Amino acid sequence: MRLALTKLIPLALLLAAWQAASGAGVLPKSVLPSFVDVAASLAAMVRTGEIWPHTAASLGRAGAGFLIAVVAGVSLGLVMARVRAVEQGAEPILLLLYPVPKPAMIPLFMIWLGIGDFSKIAVIALACLLPVVVATFNGARSVDDILLWSARARGTSERRLLWRVILPAALPQVAAGVRTAIAVAIIVLVSSEFISSEKGLGYLIFSFGGVGADDAMLAVVIYLAILGYLLDRFYMAGIRRLLSWHAFTH
Amino acid sequence: MRSLTRFLPLAILLAAWELVGRTGFVNPNVFPPVTEIVLRWFALIADGRIFGPLWSTLWRALAGLAMAIGCGVPLGLLMGRARWAEWFFEPLFSFGFPLPKIALIPLFVHWFGVFSLSKVMLIFTDCLFPIVLFSYHGARGLSPIYLWSAQSRGTGRLRMMWRVVLPLSLASIYDGVQVAVVVAVLVAVVCEMVSGGGGLGEMMIRSYRYGDVRTAFATLVTISLIGYALYKLAQWLRGRLLHWQLAEA
Repeated sequence: MRLALTKLIPLALLLAAWQAASGAGVLPKSVLPSFVDVAASLAAMVRTGEIWPHTAASLGRAGAGFLIAVVAGVSLGLVMARVRAVEQGAEPILLLLYPVPKPAMIPLFMIWLGIGDFSKIAVIALACLLPVVVATFNGARSVDDILLWSARARGTSERRLLWRVILPAALPQVAAGVRTAIAVAIIVLVSSEFISSEKGLGYLIFSFGGVGADDAMLAVVIYLAILGYLLDRFYMAGIRRLLSWHAFTH
Repeated sequence: MRSLTRFLPLAILLAAWELVGRTGFVNPNVFPPVTEIVLRWFALIADGRIFGPLWSTLWRALAGLAMAIGCGVPLGLLMGRARWAEWFFEPLFSFGFPLPKIALIPLFVHWFGVFSLSKVMLIFTDCLFPIVLFSYHGARGLSPIYLWSAQSRGTGRLRMMWRVVLPLSLASIYDGVQVAVVVAVLVAVVCEMVSGGGGLGEMMIRSYRYGDVRTAFATLVTISLIGYALYKLAQWLRGRLLHWQLAEA
């Protein structure tokens, strides 16, 4: 805990320097509004409730895409690791998709699915899918054979083996892939909301920026950063509890 | 022969894709067959329409990346060797690395205008994080034996950084550059999609507006190829520059 606090000092210093420069007039407010103004603007948006519908819209999109990616990615990765035909079938698709910068696919998905939520969710799901599939596949591949043999020796069925032995054993790698997916989801979400939307945090940043309301724009940027940071923290705390039994964590 | 069987699934996939478009199972104006995408790609090359946007995206990505390497490597190495620099910068860069810097596009447009400068600056900012962090970890993990032996011969501080710390950290720096290359292309394209100014990103958006799926696909292929080529180039350079270290290991 003390360690975490000392790590906050540089950030606090930076914010203090920002505020001091604004207060002394070295940093004109037309270039960058003062930190206090930004914080006040954020507080106002939270108090009036202006930010909640946008938060809900963004979290809904990112969450839907992310969940689809995790469910599909973990299942596909597991089956790919066990069934040769599935691996051979899925590999070329993943090979083609891997080098594509996923946000660049947003316009294509807008042609296919329109400019609404579906195209955004689809791109987010696709972008999050790859790290999850690759991590699950690698994790499931490297499961200790002894675990498989001993489970089989007790007559465990193949399907049960997948869910009860291989998935738990591969969980550390899966968890790392899912963590990457969280960061990816937020990046693709913001990109897609910048390009087209009438609701959501990306939209809010873009429209405040467009009318020159820099303090409000920065407030949403910081809010988004805090949200992303908290999601990652909560996820890591949950994973640590979930994996407390695992040999890798000791 | 072995590589041939390796590419067989890919060939089947492309053939299936082609068939789906040809048989009219899906509207080819929505999901065109592969051959039409490839033909459009060649057409864009033949009439030269792709080169302007390609060049814009490429130079923006490379300029931002070069600036990030120029500033990020010295800073990362300093953080790895100087206590105070580590204390101040490490938390900032670790905290900032996973944050979506893309969200700063409107702010950068406000600061640097809608033209190339704002895009290059955002690419620079985004690439700075992996390069600083990887350089830092490289310089921090050095075996002290090299430093001691250089010190005992009276090597000065600056010379030590340049002649000892930098070469020994190169492997790690290159890992950072490979992450940053991918980021650079991605940020360039997203900036162009959001704030225009030419480039492949704007080409994507324009083909969306015209409902021109073939050009959108061909542009996407070009974007992916640039990213892939730059990544491979960085990998190749790594092998060339680090052969003395790899041979040693």
